[in-house]
Amino acid sequence: MNSILKLSRHFLKLEPIKYSNRAISIYPHLKLKEIYETQNGKELLIEGVHIESPRSKYSLKMEDANKCSLCALDLEVKHTDVLILSQYVRNDGCMLPRRVTGLCGKQQRRVSSLVTMAQKAGLMSNLNPANSNKDPKKRNGYKKYNKYFDESTLKKY
Amino acid sequence: MSSLKRVQQWATFARIWHIYDASWQNPFQSAGLLKKYLMGTYKPIYHPLNDCGDHVVVINSGDIALPGDEWKKRVYFHHTGYPRGASWTLAWQLHKKDPTLVLKKAVYNSMDGNLQRRYTMERLHIYPDANVPADIMKNISNQLATPREVPKRLDHYSEKEVEEFPKIMDYPKNYILR
Ligand SMILES: [Zn+2]
Repeated sequence: MNSILKLSRHFLKLEPIKYSNRAISIYPHLKLKEIYETQNGKELLIEGVHIESPRSKYSLKMEDANKCSLCALDLEVKHTDVLILSQYVRNDGCMLPRRVTGLCGKQQRRVSSLVTMAQKAGLMSNLNPANSNKDPKKRNGYKKYNKYFDESTLKKY
Repeated sequence: MSSLKRVQQWATFARIWHIYDASWQNPFQSAGLLKKYLMGTYKPIYHPLNDCGDHVVVINSGDIALPGDEWKKRVYFHHTGYPRGASWTLAWQLHKKDPTLVLKKAVYNSMDGNLQRRYTMERLHIYPDANVPADIMKNISNQLATPREVPKRLDHYSEKEVEEFPKIMDYPKNYILR
């Protein structure tokens, strides 16, 4: 039995399919680059440029690489700390996923609850979908009045 | 009598006018604080029959804050006395009708029901915004500390402050900015 297998391998000799260098990709890693187009007469120059993150200049250096950023800093973040919470949301006010934020599960759940609290209290009303009403005073019914939240009511994990 | 003692004598028997900024304050937490000044219980000469309470001017009562979803959970009950005369008003509906009432009722209910309560309430002046008549404003000599810190909205920070704030999270290399 073993010898038959060996033989078949020898005769068939499956070669792995070699892909030539592909110029296009449907995956987002090519979209990283900002694309510039420059027209010089008949020549059209299209170039992709890696953009430097606007945050890298002011980012904190973490001492402990094993912990996530919030655990390493040992911060007690509240829902009123909008300058910290706004770093974890998209510009439509939506919480970023864990693979982007790099938080541990515990902190990710806590931060997303805090983001919800801050949005309900109208503290990050400029980070909302473009068609939404950005002024919390113009909300409907009970939502227009000031409210605050108690962080001790958050579920402990 | 030394001049110090004389001033102390005036200060003891004078009615002091306090100002209290109610914006982003819990009315029920504030009520316990204001009650002390309205009744004068913080004074060493206090006695229930000694009329030694101070005046308190509350501004920005329209901007009070309630915790969580209390605006739609807290209910004010009223009965006209006639059959089917009961009515229940939610806190936000009452606040919409009169932005001073939630705080006024909180202070009123925080005190014991006795013959002094109505007179004590007369010394509480509530204004929904910062527009206080000049004849009341000129009496004020003290500002009361607020228990809760007023939160600052993200769009009230300058762009430079937001940009230069230390960044805890940086985008990964393959992130598409939007
Ligand atoms: Zn962590």
